[in-house]
Amino acid sequence: MSVKPKIGIIACSGENEIGGTLSRAAARIVVEKLRPDNTVILCQPLFMAGGLERHGGQEERDFAKTHPTITIEGCQEECAKIAVSNYSGPPAATIHVQEIMEKYPELQPESKRELGVAGMKLAKKIAEKIAQKVDELYNI
Amino acid sequence: MSDEKVYILPCSGIGKVFGSIGREAAYIVVDELAKDKTKLECLPLVVKGKKEIIETLKANKVIVIDGCPMRCSYNDITEAVGKVDAQFMSTDIVKERRDLKPEKQIIPMGENAKKLSLILAEKIASKVNELLEENRGGDE
Repeated sequence: MSVKPKIGIIACSGENEIGGTLSRAAARIVVEKLRPDNTVILCQPLFMAGGLERHGGQEERDFAKTHPTITIEGCQEECAKIAVSNYSGPPAATIHVQEIMEKYPELQPESKRELGVAGMKLAKKIAEKIAQKVDELYNI
Repeated sequence: MSDEKVYILPCSGIGKVFGSIGREAAYIVVDELAKDKTKLECLPLVVKGKKEIIETLKANKVIVIDGCPMRCSYNDITEAVGKVDAQFMSTDIVKERRDLKPEKQIIPMGENAKKLSLILAEKIASKVNELLEENRGGDE
């Protein structure tokens, strides 16, 4: 039986929109609870970090060159996708948090700082969508 | 009330709890300790090259908060904006307060991690006041 490579999950690290907080919560749910054996968190700030070539820290970029990745975008700017594409190649999939938020208008997060009960339910919905994408990639 | 703001940029990395301690500290500063004096800004958008944000950061004092020795926020802001007025590492607080070993759990953060965030936030808020004083001194 061949061992399939882990999928890298890269969440938006932005703080301007609630989508950033949701994307990070969803990423942790996927990696800790839903698909712990198939996924690993890659740190988005490390992808973007200026001068990495000079002070080390290439591991995230190198991992994403040899493994499939899923980026989770907190807003329409697609910073995670751009960062991964620039340094490691295009992600295998991109999840847009805002699209999922629109499907569940009844689940309103409390704030960017604290998602609250409804916000965490929404993060779980986003995480389920990511997990579904992980499964799709594994079945290719 | 002055319009003058100190801009706070945490790395918001989610690979380990240290990024989350820095992020929580940033929110404590911006929402509570230095509410009218500070503003949170989005690190990925700066790296992406959003002109209006970069110009605002150039014209104001900037504090970065990092969660690991890669110092992504520091390096990114230095590269994009050309200066950082103060930098904090959440890991320094963890070393200073070995009695408060942070829990690994990120969402939600553990009690010790929250206490460390508050300690870090108090130091940052104090630096905010220093930087604003410097500005006023420069204006005289």
